[in-house]
Amino acid sequence: MVLDCSPKLDVVFHALAHPARRAIIRQLSGGERNLSELASPLRMTFPAATKHVRVLEGAKLVRRRIAGRQHLCRLHAAPLKEAMLWTEQFRRNWEARFKVLDSLLDEMKSEEQSRSRRR
Amino acid sequence: MNATSAKGLQVSTPTDTTIVLTRTFNAPLRFVWEAMFTPEKMRRWMLPPPGWTVTVCECDARVGGALKLAWKSEEADPAMTLEGVFTEVVLHERIVHTETMALGSGQTIGSLVEKHEFAEKGGVTTMRITQTYDSKEARDGAIASGMDQGMEAGYKQLDAVLAQPA
Repeated sequence: MVLDCSPKLDVVFHALAHPARRAIIRQLSGGERNLSELASPLRMTFPAATKHVRVLEGAKLVRRRIAGRQHLCRLHAAPLKEAMLWTEQFRRNWEARFKVLDSLLDEMKSEEQSRSRRR
Repeated sequence: MNATSAKGLQVSTPTDTTIVLTRTFNAPLRFVWEAMFTPEKMRRWMLPPPGWTVTVCECDARVGGALKLAWKSEEADPAMTLEGVFTEVVLHERIVHTETMALGSGQTIGSLVEKHEFAEKGGVTTMRITQTYDSKEARDGAIASGMDQGMEAGYKQLDAVLAQPA
């Protein structure tokens, strides 16, 4: 089961609950960035950006490596993928049944129409 | 709420112990109600998992009435059972029932309260199902139980989301 080896979904959802952190994720989906590259488009101080990156690191969504004086961040999307998939399969399973229900309802409607025509 | 055309199922988890399913149907409310709570109609659309068949389907949609479903698989009969009692019934408006799922061995695998609310507008019916589980773990388990299927499709969808500009 995928869930057993991944960080708690709670932590992932908490990490995604802040717009600045979602913006960081978007930036990182374009590739590795250093902390100041992440901070400047958000009009955020360096410490504030660092704080958000730490939350993302805690959720295992971001990995940081230090190269000289630079802190380079990159996206680790696996927990995000699991979080997004979280309700998707549940939804699909039910939607498949409801599609069958749609056809049944169509059938019920046309049966009633033909009954009323015969009267 | 857009009630002018049928929309696909929406699923949300507004609290730690709930799942809300919202779906519209291109049909009058009385048909949706009949299809949801009449055993003969329920058997038509409540498709069992692959390899399973429905052996029991009873639904007495009155306060105190019983809901009973059972499935068998090639290995076990019953493979799973679902039993509940209707606690509130307002015809063509809302219905609440309890629900306990158990394995063929009798081991309970979770209980919940399921509330259905209906509204019709211009021949289109909106149904909202609110499932309230005993615990967050039970709720998470219900969602997670189908997660091993269809992962690939979900990943593709995520790739599309990440590709969108901010």
